[in-house]
Amino acid sequence: MLRGSLAIWQRDMLVLRRNMVSELVAVVAYPLTIYLAFGIGMQGYIGLVEGVPYSLFIAPGLITMTAVSAAYNESVWSLWFHRRVQFTVESYRVTPITVSEIVIAKILTGFTHGIIKGCAVGLVIFAITPFRFPLEHLLHYLLFLIPGSAFFSCAGVISGTIMDKPETIGKVEAVLVMPLIFMSGLFFPLSSYPQSVIFWVRLLPTTALFEGARKALVAGDMMTLSVLQVLLSALLTFAASVYIFRFKMSE
Amino acid sequence: MPTASIITHSLTKLYGSLTALDSFDLEVDQGSIFGMLGPNGAGKTTLIRILTTLMRQSSGDASIEGLDTLRSGREIRCMIGVVSQENSLDRYLTARENLELHARLHGMDKRLYKQRIDELLELMGLAGRQKDFPDTFSGGMQRRLVIARALVHQPRVLFLDEPTTGLDPQSRRVVWEYVRSMAGSMTIFLTTHYLEEAEQLCDRIAIMDHGRLIAIGSTQELKDRLSGATVYEIEFAGQEADRYTTLLGSMPCVVNIRRLGGKVTVTLECWECLSEIVTALNGAPVRRISLQERTLEDVFISLTGDKVRE
Ligand SMILES: Nc1ncnc2c1ncn2[C@@H]1O[C@H](COP(=O)(O)OP(=O)(O)O)[C@@H](O)[C@H]1O
Ligand SMILES: [Mg+2]
Repeated sequence: MLRGSLAIWQRDMLVLRRNMVSELVAVVAYPLTIYLAFGIGMQGYIGLVEGVPYSLFIAPGLITMTAVSAAYNESVWSLWFHRRVQFTVESYRVTPITVSEIVIAKILTGFTHGIIKGCAVGLVIFAITPFRFPLEHLLHYLLFLIPGSAFFSCAGVISGTIMDKPETIGKVEAVLVMPLIFMSGLFFPLSSYPQSVIFWVRLLPTTALFEGARKALVAGDMMTLSVLQVLLSALLTFAASVYIFRFKMSE
Repeated sequence: MPTASIITHSLTKLYGSLTALDSFDLEVDQGSIFGMLGPNGAGKTTLIRILTTLMRQSSGDASIEGLDTLRSGREIRCMIGVVSQENSLDRYLTARENLELHARLHGMDKRLYKQRIDELLELMGLAGRQKDFPDTFSGGMQRRLVIARALVHQPRVLFLDEPTTGLDPQSRRVVWEYVRSMAGSMTIFLTTHYLEEAEQLCDRIAIMDHGRLIAIGSTQELKDRLSGATVYEIEFAGQEADRYTTLLGSMPCVVNIRRLGGKVTVTLECWECLSEIVTALNGAPVRRISLQERTLEDVFISLTGDKVRE
């Protein structure tokens, strides 16, 4: 049943392999700049946050941010490009594969981009900074990173399916996606929020993801409820993305 | 008696209040090359999209090789090849990879498609460029690659939506050669707004406009419909052509008139009207009057009252 998905995903991986170096350089540059500017540059002014140096506090978030935004970006732009610019989706649709196989392939591709790019940034941060963590924390962290990347990949597929204009995609990213990432305790502890707001912020799947991922990596905490929240969000957006894509394709 | 490969019955498609296809009835014989001729916006692409299961009709039904497009989409897609109006090549894959991906989407076995792709690249004159990206190809080569892609899985019905639009005359002829070479081995359904293309390639031609089928038949049958009408070409000496074009154009027996430099082409209601024309041209610097063979364009003009909109 997923033969078509596999063929399209392998096509995407072939293209990724061909451009691996430039893709990685582009994706590593941004979080690394932030790390150097805030983590190192501001460290002396900020001191300890939740008991750890500021550079340690933001490192896991930067890796998570890279992974999920890479997943989102790949999905949204690839779907838009293949639908609206290159018309490749149309050429897939006149073969015997189903529309669901196409959308699943695109979700898998976004997810893979997220994981690969997240790992790349992680390795770079590991190589050039003193950020260290026990290996078993990594397993807990992956429990967040994997469904988190899947969630953002599905969200990207939904955006790339419903939005036909590139400028709309840019705007949604600026007013919705980036704020959701930044608000969820990437650069500051949630306790900085007023008490009345915290409840609402905690409802966001991005909060569960970023807070849970950080605590998993830095402290080895296992926040089961947060994992479940991210997992459930991923499953729901997956169902929604398949449904919405099929609806869009049925005109 | 050949059986029908494509059948539509009262096929209708509405886009909001716009009727893009209006109770369309059509039968296309197996193994024939069928041309759907119509100006831009006539509804040709809409028809192809419904027949290739990319889009659902508003009412009526359509079948390919006896299978209903709404119920048997997957089975139909196994046996059709589609060359869409837009170039839908993957510019990040080489020519060969484009074909390989398509073969895989059709569930073809690697051993099988490798050989088939070799053959097709050879046939379409692309074997030497198979490792290059389509961006580096000329328009004609890209078209040939899209056609090759549509043929990888050996379809029984091939759809070509305006296969030569935007190509220079020479590349167009090359594409025609390839289409002709496939004649008989499969049903070919092509749309075009080039009269010459339909005339050159097709066994049967249908003319459509505003979503309606206007006429259908062989080229000769369609030309014969123009029973009385005749076309003459009048060549003027000097600068007089303009003045006489206006004069002739105002005569009731002139159905249509066009001027190209010193040459004026007039379509007359019937050949007997020629004497009126000769009278009107009395004293004019006429170099030559010649009877023109009727073309599909004349048929088109007489049926739609309009030239083919480009
Ligand atoms: N997706 C669409 N939504 C609304 N109108 C459309 C759509 N596609 C085509 N049309 C309209 O339907 C008519 C037929 O279009 P089309 O089938 O593309 O014609 P052709 O291929 O003969 O040029 C045109 O008037 C066109 O503007
Ligand atoms: Mg068209």
